[in-house]
Amino acid sequence: MASLTARVRDRRTLRRNITALAFLAPAIALIGVFTITPFVQAILLSFQSWDGISLETPWVGLDNYEFVFGDDEFWASMKNVAIFGVVGFFLGNALPLGMAIAVNRIRRLRTFFRTVFYLPGILSVVVVGVIFLFMFEPRSGVLNQMLDMVGLESLQQNWLGDPSFALPSVAAVFIWFHWGFGFLLFLAGLQDIPEELYEAAELDGARAWAKFRYVTWPQLAPVTTIVSLLTLLAALQIFGTVQVLTNGGPGSHTLVPTLLIYEEAFTNNRYGSAAAMSVLFGGALVVLSFLQLTIARRRADK
Amino acid sequence: MVTSLVGTEKNGAAEDPSGDSRDQSPRPRRRRIRANRVGLYGLLGVAALTALFPLLWMLSGSLQTQDELLSGDSLIPSGFHWKTYVTAWTDGDLGTYLSNSVFYTLTAVLGILVVSSMAGYVLARVEFWGKGFFTFVILAVMIIPAPAMFLAQYRLLLDLGLTNSRLGYILILITSGVPMATLIMRSFFVGQPRELEESAALDGASPLRIFASIILPLARPGLAAVAVIQGLHAWNEYLMALVLFDDNSLMPIQRGLTSFNSAETPQQQVLLAATVISVVPVIVFYLLAQRNIVNGLGAGALK
Repeated sequence: MASLTARVRDRRTLRRNITALAFLAPAIALIGVFTITPFVQAILLSFQSWDGISLETPWVGLDNYEFVFGDDEFWASMKNVAIFGVVGFFLGNALPLGMAIAVNRIRRLRTFFRTVFYLPGILSVVVVGVIFLFMFEPRSGVLNQMLDMVGLESLQQNWLGDPSFALPSVAAVFIWFHWGFGFLLFLAGLQDIPEELYEAAELDGARAWAKFRYVTWPQLAPVTTIVSLLTLLAALQIFGTVQVLTNGGPGSHTLVPTLLIYEEAFTNNRYGSAAAMSVLFGGALVVLSFLQLTIARRRADK
Repeated sequence: MVTSLVGTEKNGAAEDPSGDSRDQSPRPRRRRIRANRVGLYGLLGVAALTALFPLLWMLSGSLQTQDELLSGDSLIPSGFHWKTYVTAWTDGDLGTYLSNSVFYTLTAVLGILVVSSMAGYVLARVEFWGKGFFTFVILAVMIIPAPAMFLAQYRLLLDLGLTNSRLGYILILITSGVPMATLIMRSFFVGQPRELEESAALDGASPLRIFASIILPLARPGLAAVAVIQGLHAWNEYLMALVLFDDNSLMPIQRGLTSFNSAETPQQQVLLAATVISVVPVIVFYLLAQRNIVNGLGAGALK
């Protein structure tokens, strides 16, 4: 008797397991074939030589890595993307946080500002690139024209062509494009802070700054972690915006790793060294997000 | 989290900035508060203008003549030169690109919804062998960034004969959306009541039937949030479209725009008009589905 019910239970467990795996199968199959396999293949390809056409892909050991480590363009692109990362990390947090606090304090037009502030975020990199390509145009571009109109000709620049202005210009476009996302998350986070905390702080005589420092900032910590991680990763993976605006130029002053990997493979037909770059750069990104998530978890546990 | 995003308007009414009647000197304080508020609206107005100006300028530029645009003198077009749009539409072959984009977006979103709701459901509700492992895998692949993969993805699709192929592109779009969509759906299913499916199971309904006729209809808000976010992603995808397509007749709009831009050097206002046309669907979608987009972004980022 007992063994019969046990057998029925076993069969039910088996059927439940099979059903569950069947439901999961499409997701696992897609991820296995189109994410995990290429991830492994990229590592293998980085030890091979391939021109993109031939069937032969001979093993070359560490040659690709040696080439990449000696490649000035690679290091230039890493330096540039680090600057994008730093700008994105700080401005990409501070600007949306400030704006979220401002919107949270007004009563009218909140929906309007929310709609408008996120609007750039729904555009594609190509659209953003085309718009700013025109706006930055040195002669007829609207930016220089407006400086001219208000009598500030001395501030006119060849925004995308001048080596010292190209990177800041592209970074500014990135911020314009991306800050709405952090803004939405911060605004939601602010509205989750219980009003009583502010009332208590006020009873303790806290002024605006103290309220921010001891209530708003600690309460927003989880949101800040997410926003900074996502903005940082977006800044480090910047590609389309740069490709359309400057294609890495002038020289390699705005070159970034993703664009370099693309060019190395599809223009120079050196897929092996492109793969080595993507392993090095992609690996750095993985380590970085892992670190940040670990720190975030430790902070949340406290 | 999600609900508070919707409740934006209510909250501010609680703090009445008109001041405290017990205040000893009400007038200067009130004046200072009003000045603060004017400053606040001024700041937000400048920010809103900064966000909108490039878009308005694009619209204005697309309606100017070539001479006006090249001289750069005016922010407002002298007349409305609608012909430019006709030229952009025909020369840029925008009909083809837009219908390709609509097709890719719809099929990718549909695929993501099916795959991720099934996976999210069992990860949330069913105890089975390897559950922890599969959950970990789905979380872990989200960390793998595009720069580490796109090259090898290209090579894989080349080996499979799926470059320059609608199927190949759609499979890539679906795969890139599945991990996050699965996590959103999982957290959605965790919060749903179990009674209905249990009584259906007692009535002898099959798991697939329970899922399709009971679980999915209840999950509509979650599915909507996933759909709008993934729809925007798919519509704006650029890197894989750049890598996979040589054949113009298969390109989505983002890829088509760059190829229009570089290939035949169109007049500038025509390029701007083509860009405006490519943006209109997504802005209309944003204004219509705004609430869902905002909720979906919050859900995606914080889950």
